[in-house]
Amino acid sequence: MATRLQFENNCEVGAYSKLTNAYCLVAIGGSENFFSAFEGELADVIPVVKTSIGGNRIVGRLCVGNKNGLLLPHTATDRELQHLRNSLPDQVVVQRIEERLCALGNCITCNDHVALTHSDLDRETEEMIADVLGVEVFSQTVAGNAIVGSYCVFSNTGGLVHPHTSIEGLDELSTLLQVPLVAGTVNRGSEVIASGMTVNDWTAFCGSDTTATELSVIESVFKLREAQPIAIVNEMRKSLIDTYV
Amino acid sequence: MRSQLVKSKARRPKRRRQGLKSWPITFSPFARALALARMPKRHSQNPTSSVNIPRHSHSSDDESFDGVIQADFSFFDPKPQDFHGAKTLLQTYLDDHEWDLSSFVDLILDQTTVGTVVKIEGDEDEGIFALVTALNFHRYREHRCFFTLKEFLLRKARQDKAVADRLRLLLEEQSRVVGLLVSQRMLNLPPQLLPHLYAALFDEVSWATEDEPTEELRNSFKFKHYIILSKIYVQKSAQQKRKPSNDNDEAIIYVKAEDEIFHKLRNYRPTGLVMAVEVDKIATFRQELASLISET
Repeated sequence: MATRLQFENNCEVGAYSKLTNAYCLVAIGGSENFFSAFEGELADVIPVVKTSIGGNRIVGRLCVGNKNGLLLPHTATDRELQHLRNSLPDQVVVQRIEERLCALGNCITCNDHVALTHSDLDRETEEMIADVLGVEVFSQTVAGNAIVGSYCVFSNTGGLVHPHTSIEGLDELSTLLQVPLVAGTVNRGSEVIASGMTVNDWTAFCGSDTTATELSVIESVFKLREAQPIAIVNEMRKSLIDTYV
Repeated sequence: MRSQLVKSKARRPKRRRQGLKSWPITFSPFARALALARMPKRHSQNPTSSVNIPRHSHSSDDESFDGVIQADFSFFDPKPQDFHGAKTLLQTYLDDHEWDLSSFVDLILDQTTVGTVVKIEGDEDEGIFALVTALNFHRYREHRCFFTLKEFLLRKARQDKAVADRLRLLLEEQSRVVGLLVSQRMLNLPPQLLPHLYAALFDEVSWATEDEPTEELRNSFKFKHYIILSKIYVQKSAQQKRKPSNDNDEAIIYVKAEDEIFHKLRNYRPTGLVMAVEVDKIATFRQELASLISET
């Protein structure tokens, strides 16, 4: 199910939160509404952790993670690192990496199996991503943009990309990611998809400006209507013969 | 559609970002409007910090501004496409209070008869530089955002009982003839535009009293009072909230210059943010604004 919400009058919820299948990071905000919305949906399934990164509230754009791990930029303080290590489940490896491009959420986007990265990332960073997050790394562009993390959002079940992506681009990405993709917008026509929404395998959160049409596209491409947080789906995936078109 | 073309030139090669000089590299129109909204604010709010910038970057900035920058601003009626730009301008309208800003912006954009939006002529990005409109309190009283707005105003006025009572009178009993004057712009917008902008607004209000299709709508524009929310800096006895190079005699600094004129003409003492102006004084306001602008 997709939920519409705001962070302090701002519809860019993907900038202030990071949602994965194993945990959720939320920025520290003026009012508790934002945090409560996440807690209400997720509290009994995965931990919802309030944090900042390097003192910044745009946690969604600064870090990248999936159920296996979480990567933080070099601007993250020791205290924040320790707080995250303590709050997240033990199987999630929290790692701080030295990378010149420190807005990791803008440069890297991933689900539990594949990651797309900015073409200018260091070799060591790409190895670290493959190691910590347990994914296959592909250096790609989306609609001619290098900052793939901003213009592409995908989970294990589907993905949404920049509205101006060509059909060939969509096909290429879909082959790499092995999930169905759709080119669309969020927050009433905003092209910066990843900033406007955040998603995992069973739920999504979008900015409150998102129209009903955009929301129905999101619910159908990410298959949220019938989704439930059952671990069996993830386990079965390894033994499933490829069924995606 | 009533639109006017206003050319504006910088007379001296000052560091004024009047034109399309350095567009930030952003992809969507909304992001560009957002970045543009931040750019002028950065320059107007912290001029002291510019002294700390190393010399070479300072001069390299000047080199690119070697003369007159031509910018053609046009006035348009509000359109639904202006949503993101208008929302950016109104982001801090009620300080940081959480409210239904999106539907408030929708109301403004729906009212095409009264309201003006300033954009660059021929700009494919459709970034909005300024917005003025007047909304009748009675007409929109059912909407939740107006309800929140009224509550906010009354809460702010609560310190002074007399003012709060008069405000409540205006907002509730007399709401038929009270309008909310919304005027937001990018802070570095050339002030030569302001007299024309306000002229456009007040002319549209008087035209609407004749041109609107229904009797009720015509009456809704026969305003007797305007409510204006304005941001000001008030000098505390020890602390100064503005750059020291300003003359220290001023007790109140207005973020928008024309608010000072409104303040002089006001009906009663402002609560720091809220002013109510009688409509008869508008003519005086227009004259004083014209003289203020030609002086600066």
